Amino acid sequence: MSGIGQGIGQFEIELQNKAQELVSVLSDGNVSHAMEIIQELHDFRHQVFFSEVGHLTRGLHEALKAFSTELGSSLQVDDEEADKDTDAADRLNYVIEVTEKNAHETMDRVDNALSLVDKLDSQSERFKDLLLLVGQLEKEHDSLSGVYDRTCAVKEESEKTINTLRTELTDIVVSQSYQDITGQLIRRVISLVTNVESHLIGLMEMAAKVEKLSGIESAPSSSQEKDNNKNEVQAEGPQIKKNSPDVVSNQDEVDDLLSSLGF
Amino acid sequence: MNKDMKILVVDDFSTMRRIIKNLLKDLGMTNVTEADDGQTALPILKQGGIDFLVTDWNMPGMTGIDLLKEVRSDPNLASMPVLMVTAEAKKEQIIAAAQAGVNGYVVKPFTAAVLKEKIDKIFERLG
Repeated sequence: MSGIGQGIGQFEIELQNKAQELVSVLSDGNVSHAMEIIQELHDFRHQVFFSEVGHLTRGLHEALKAFSTELGSSLQVDDEEADKDTDAADRLNYVIEVTEKNAHETMDRVDNALSLVDKLDSQSERFKDLLLLVGQLEKEHDSLSGVYDRTCAVKEESEKTINTLRTELTDIVVSQSYQDITGQLIRRVISLVTNVESHLIGLMEMAAKVEKLSGIESAPSSSQEKDNNKNEVQAEGPQIKKNSPDVVSNQDEVDDLLSSLGF
Repeated sequence: MNKDMKILVVDDFSTMRRIIKNLLKDLGMTNVTEADDGQTALPILKQGGIDFLVTDWNMPGMTGIDLLKEVRSDPNLASMPVLMVTAEAKKEQIIAAAQAGVNGYVVKPFTAAVLKEKIDKIFERLG
């Protein structure tokens, strides 16, 4: 396999040499030698092709392995369970687990905070009873004049604060949805990586087999998987290019689209 | 809108199920059951007793759109109000959901106000 390892540039030079040789052999009338040269050219072309594919395949495989290792070492920091041999997909799954755990911890705290807000609310009710008492006393004691109204104003303000606090806390809960959105994207990357890896292995096996076969002339058809059934509308996960014309960028556009459909 | 109605929330991410559950609680609706994909949701629905379905689209097992189609094709469930809460934001997807008979469509990430508004609207229409 003399051609293996040579690049496309080398292939062009060799092609020119062989072509000149072919012309001169033919002008000498040596047809059988000419046929040999054509066969050599044919074989050579396949050798170069498989060598290039082999290099690319190996390169990709190495890149994926390096990705797993790097991801591993960067996530290793504070987790003993993460073991060194796990692959890229496991690492990415780990990211989903960690963000999920943290999102729940945040929501636990917000739940606690919300129950404190409820407590403030019920205290405010009791405060109201006490205030009524002050209101009655105010009539009997001139020195208390105006205290009831001023205290009522403070109480109102504090009730508004409690409501704002409740809204803010609810927004913290809602903002945890980043975990779902990023998680869905990571899952897509996981399936991409897994897919690429399995196809790579297939490609490497195929290249090895073809090299073994004597007549390389049967160019193997690529074992591409059939595209997803395009007739069905598939789940695609969160859209990143929000300004693409076939993607809605906010809830208003969803509503517009639906109302245009008579909803 | 009946605050005691039984709601099934279907999403493969527990974070999102919890968020929706919390928001429903704010709206006074506390009778909530959860499922993590269409396959686990369907038997719960078929058992009966669920009044309102809130579902994600992109889930392993059975997707939300397939679940919606199953619901609409089952005579016992066909009239159930269904709200889709999903990150799927392509126009063709929203159209497909509408054609499959969804009652409301909320894209993630959403706000508490949007979710409330869509739920109110669904039950306003149903009367």
